[in-house]
Amino acid sequence: MRSLLQDRLSRVAALRPVPASSARISGHSEGLPAAAEELARMVAATPLRNSHGECLSVRRWFDGHDCAPSLDSALGRLLPSVPPEALDPSEWLFLDTETTGLAGGTGTYAFLVGLAWWDAGGLEVEQLFLRDYSEEHAVLESLAARMAERRVLVTFNGRSFDWPLLETRYRMTRRIHASPPAAHLDLLHPARQLWRLKLGSVRLMELEQHVLGPLDWRREGDIPGALIPQAYFSYLRGGGPEALSQVFRHNQMDLRGLASLAARLVALLTDPGAATSDALELYGLSRLLERRGAPEDARRLFERALAAGLPEEADRAARRELARLAKRERDFDRATELWEDLLGETRDGLDAYEQLAIYFEHRARAPQRALELTRQALASLRAAWQCGRLPPAVYRRLRERLSRRLERLEGRAHARLPAPELFASSGASHASNRHPVSSAPAGAPSSARFGAKTG
Amino acid sequence: MTQSLVLRPSSSLESVRAVLEDLAARDHSGDRENSGLTALQHIPARPAEYAPMPDWVRPELAAAYTAKGVSQLYSHQAEAAETAHAGRNTVVVTPTASGKTLCYNLPILNAILEDSDTRALYLFPTKALAQDQLAELYDLARRLESPSEGQPFGVFTYDGDTPADARRAIRERGHIVLTNPDMLHTGILPHHTKWTRLFENLRYIVIDELHTCRGVFGSHLANVLRRLRRIARFYGSDPVFVCCSATIANPGSLAEQLLEAPVAVVDRNGAPAAEKYFAFWNPPVVNRFLGIRRSYINETCRVSREFLGRGLQTIVFANSRLHTELLLTYLQNDQRPAPGQPEPVRGYRGGYLPGERREIERGLRDGAIRGVVATNALELGIDIGTLDAVILAGYPGTIAATWQRSGRAGRRTGASCAVLVASSSPLDQFIVRHPGYFFSSPPEHAFIQPDNLEILLNHLKCAAFELPLDPGEKFGSADLPEICAHLERSGYLHRSGGCWHWTQEAYPADTVSLRSVTSDNFVIVNTAAGEDGEPEIIGEVDFPSALVIVHPKAIYLHQGQQYHVDRLDFDQRKAYVRPVNADYYTDAVRYTQVRVLDPAEEERVAGPAGRAHGDVLVRSQVVGFKKIKFWTNENVGAGQLELPENEMHTTAYWITLERALVESLPFSVSERQNGMLGLLYALESMAALLLMCDRRDLGTAIGERPPRPGSHAAVATSEPAEDAGARSVPKLRDAMPVQSQSPASPRGAREFFEPNLYLYDAYPGGIGFSQPLFDLHSSLLARARELVASCPCEQGCPSCVGPSPESGVRTKQVALAILDCLCG
Repeated sequence: MRSLLQDRLSRVAALRPVPASSARISGHSEGLPAAAEELARMVAATPLRNSHGECLSVRRWFDGHDCAPSLDSALGRLLPSVPPEALDPSEWLFLDTETTGLAGGTGTYAFLVGLAWWDAGGLEVEQLFLRDYSEEHAVLESLAARMAERRVLVTFNGRSFDWPLLETRYRMTRRIHASPPAAHLDLLHPARQLWRLKLGSVRLMELEQHVLGPLDWRREGDIPGALIPQAYFSYLRGGGPEALSQVFRHNQMDLRGLASLAARLVALLTDPGAATSDALELYGLSRLLERRGAPEDARRLFERALAAGLPEEADRAARRELARLAKRERDFDRATELWEDLLGETRDGLDAYEQLAIYFEHRARAPQRALELTRQALASLRAAWQCGRLPPAVYRRLRERLSRRLERLEGRAHARLPAPELFASSGASHASNRHPVSSAPAGAPSSARFGAKTG
Repeated sequence: MTQSLVLRPSSSLESVRAVLEDLAARDHSGDRENSGLTALQHIPARPAEYAPMPDWVRPELAAAYTAKGVSQLYSHQAEAAETAHAGRNTVVVTPTASGKTLCYNLPILNAILEDSDTRALYLFPTKALAQDQLAELYDLARRLESPSEGQPFGVFTYDGDTPADARRAIRERGHIVLTNPDMLHTGILPHHTKWTRLFENLRYIVIDELHTCRGVFGSHLANVLRRLRRIARFYGSDPVFVCCSATIANPGSLAEQLLEAPVAVVDRNGAPAAEKYFAFWNPPVVNRFLGIRRSYINETCRVSREFLGRGLQTIVFANSRLHTELLLTYLQNDQRPAPGQPEPVRGYRGGYLPGERREIERGLRDGAIRGVVATNALELGIDIGTLDAVILAGYPGTIAATWQRSGRAGRRTGASCAVLVASSSPLDQFIVRHPGYFFSSPPEHAFIQPDNLEILLNHLKCAAFELPLDPGEKFGSADLPEICAHLERSGYLHRSGGCWHWTQEAYPADTVSLRSVTSDNFVIVNTAAGEDGEPEIIGEVDFPSALVIVHPKAIYLHQGQQYHVDRLDFDQRKAYVRPVNADYYTDAVRYTQVRVLDPAEEERVAGPAGRAHGDVLVRSQVVGFKKIKFWTNENVGAGQLELPENEMHTTAYWITLERALVESLPFSVSERQNGMLGLLYALESMAALLLMCDRRDLGTAIGERPPRPGSHAAVATSEPAEDAGARSVPKLRDAMPVQSQSPASPRGAREFFEPNLYLYDAYPGGIGFSQPLFDLHSSLLARARELVASCPCEQGCPSCVGPSPESGVRTKQVALAILDCLCG
């Protein structure tokens, strides 16, 4: 007869079986999960012992991964401050974990820790695996040892995911410590700046396909990332090793992709001109360089990207950015040329009207031309608004600024006064005082600054 | 009940007295016991009892308090600070505005000044209270600031509004972190490794407004605290708890149940209080036969005007948002502001913006605002200074809450007055007609059931997520190995290295709400919402209520608007509704069957009858509904429904009426049946009163007493069943709130042989009401008898045994006759 507690438990909603995993649940036995040995054979793993017990380790060397020759100039463009260790490629440790979920918190485990480093013209990969939760301390201990050998962590989104998760795991042990890396290069953010426009998405897999070019390996028989936690859970509950062996391969491919991506990024940043001729890549690179405070290089690359032929929207954005850089360097010929190209009913086109009007009013001292441009700008603005191309807030802001300018210019025209000396020079002096504004937040529309000052 | 008025000259005293005399004079009903001013209680002033600042208080802290005007302590403050300083768990029980915060701030700040590694966690039930405390602690930090070292401690709130970029600094630098139980549950405990600094040095935990931690919420909180203590142990700390509570009957045992540790109770209040009058006002009866009284909302308005008109600063408490707005509209209409002046009467409730609330609080303190209409949002310790009068529109539901709200007037000096205006609900009517009960009883007990299996399991999952579960651990009364084995079979846990580990991708705390037992809710979708016509979610109902409230074709009432339920999508847990204007409401017809699984205690009592409590299985099914016309309560239609059956394992208390008792009643079969239902209605009202719970927390049913425990109990039927065997489909008047007004009309009823009258906990697993009800058996019956006997209606009304179904049915008389036997 069932006990009252069992009877109650059977009715409790909190115990409703988890739909996805219920099928595979089998009886529990002490010791390692049933498929542990078979899995070790499939992935060619060997036991690894240390003072905290035993876990599995898989080691494999992959040919065809050259490390970047010189890291010096490239890293200066990736990191705000470059610790000396980071310049030494032998200090680089690539890391990618497979976890029991993406939710984070103390109940998410990293059951497979993948590591890799450049060695002998190729890539050495080591994977540390917990055959069961009880082996976590052994894995963490070995990971700490590897991290002490190589002090620079290189990850893809590891800054906000893998590393905090591992830090949590270390804290949960209360006795194993890993010294924090001397530097942590997370390639997600530079990759996003470089390639989002080109690819729309910057998942590692997309980058492998489209950025790294023909690879000697392909993701065949790969397991989708979303199924990885279930693969581990089902193995723990006595399921077979097949799905999990795919996870090992998935992790190896991620690490190889990560290393290739790092090499590619370093090459692009070391000598952008030589490394690519792809217009969108050049454009991405120029934006990255601009943000990292290299406006001259950025300007050169913008020009190259434009020359290589960008899609319409990117072309407009590149022209706008380039015009801004040219203006900042007081190259008004190039700036006005770019603005003229941009004129139209787009957002950039309307900004260009305004920029030109500012230029003609204050710099070229041609208020009549400025007045014409402002009128055209208002007409284009109305047209753009009527076609529903602008959000209401943008429309109102632009209309207000342009109307003020129009009023002032018209007032001046009526008074038949020449452009007042004082005003013009004050505008110019403002401009020269404020520039170079290299510290200004990137991407802030320059027109806003000018409009606010003169309007 | 009226006491002699001992009056001292004081302008507010004169005015208060004048108002009360006016009210008394206007009461011409001639029925002094049942309407008008039914009671006037004088509560004399109480002087302060002081104690010196303890000598362990560091001089700079003592100086900071002296600079704030606190150079000596009230006796209870000194006592509480002493026990907390000595490292003993403490609960401080004192009324509103007695300086409770000092009781914990003093020892905790002192500990931080002694050792700057010390950390403390403050738990407040609402964000607004945390904000209030933050201001107080900032002030102290500023006073303790030194030019060389800056402020000696960091204090931060950590809740859903805390910006992500500020969180890291709070985890590292916050000596005192102010948060709420929900945030602790979902935001802090599952991420405890980020709070290593706090947990390693956690010396104090403060739980303010402990009395709100009862019922479902309290049962959850007890489990959150189990998890908290578990994490603290993991980091090697053993914090001392300091709790504050408004006056309830069992603060010590509640705290001990929550903390699972001995607690020192400090309940001798040393704070002074000014004299006060407490009056009960019962709106006059307008229809004696149906027991209908004048609207208590209108009466509240009338009373409030008297006070406001004499320039007395007044707070009016309503029990719902809707009534708050209604009263506000009425009062603002006749208290027009002078030109250019701000509105003198304002509203205050949840949903107002924080800035607006702060402005109202300020206006009340400086006197610019003369009146405020509030919900219980103002009941908890928010500082609004001293008011002259408190008007309660309807009984707040418990003695404790009534005293707490009335404490809003006359905080320290001057005379003040509180007036309770009764509605026609049984609870209100009982209270105003039995002032002795209110003024002489200790306030209610607060009950929790931390070992409710459903709640415990949910928290066990969260605990496993936070730290692997060791089979040797203790987690309440749970049989860990057996429960964990179950959780393993269901795919939540996995055993490795002797411990159970979490094996789910999901984050369990996200799906566990501290405010309900199961997180299984139906959402209510208005398909014709707004101008854009986009469907809009207007509310949620929990699973057990959903079938009763939003079954197909039901009229669902929300914020005063009627909605017709077009469709109930059971699988997606959605009810699709559209606004309508109907002159009827619906009343679900529900079959409820109670099966006794395991009686915990049974006893024969006077009657002859029996009382018992224990585990039961409640099965219910909504099989149809009735359409009831507003105002006249006519039955204007009905419908059949095919909805799934709902099964719930819970706990119940029940009374068995033995055959001899039933047969001794000189009434017809149908009258007896009606009388038992009426009796159950009255018992439910009084049980809610005694338990300090909401009426909705209890369910009722009648069934035939089973031949022996564990077998089927038959149930009251309204139609003769096909056969009288054990498989008959039983039917019972539904006990859910929406239907409570519906007439019970079992025509041609089958006679019960020996009926059981059940009062069950309306939550899966039970929430701890059954044993207390069993213990309170005689007092419950005595209260019910007083309620029914003193009701001025003739045949029964919503204030006693429920609305009278039709004339000639002697529901009230039968109920009284049974009660006479039971009380005999």
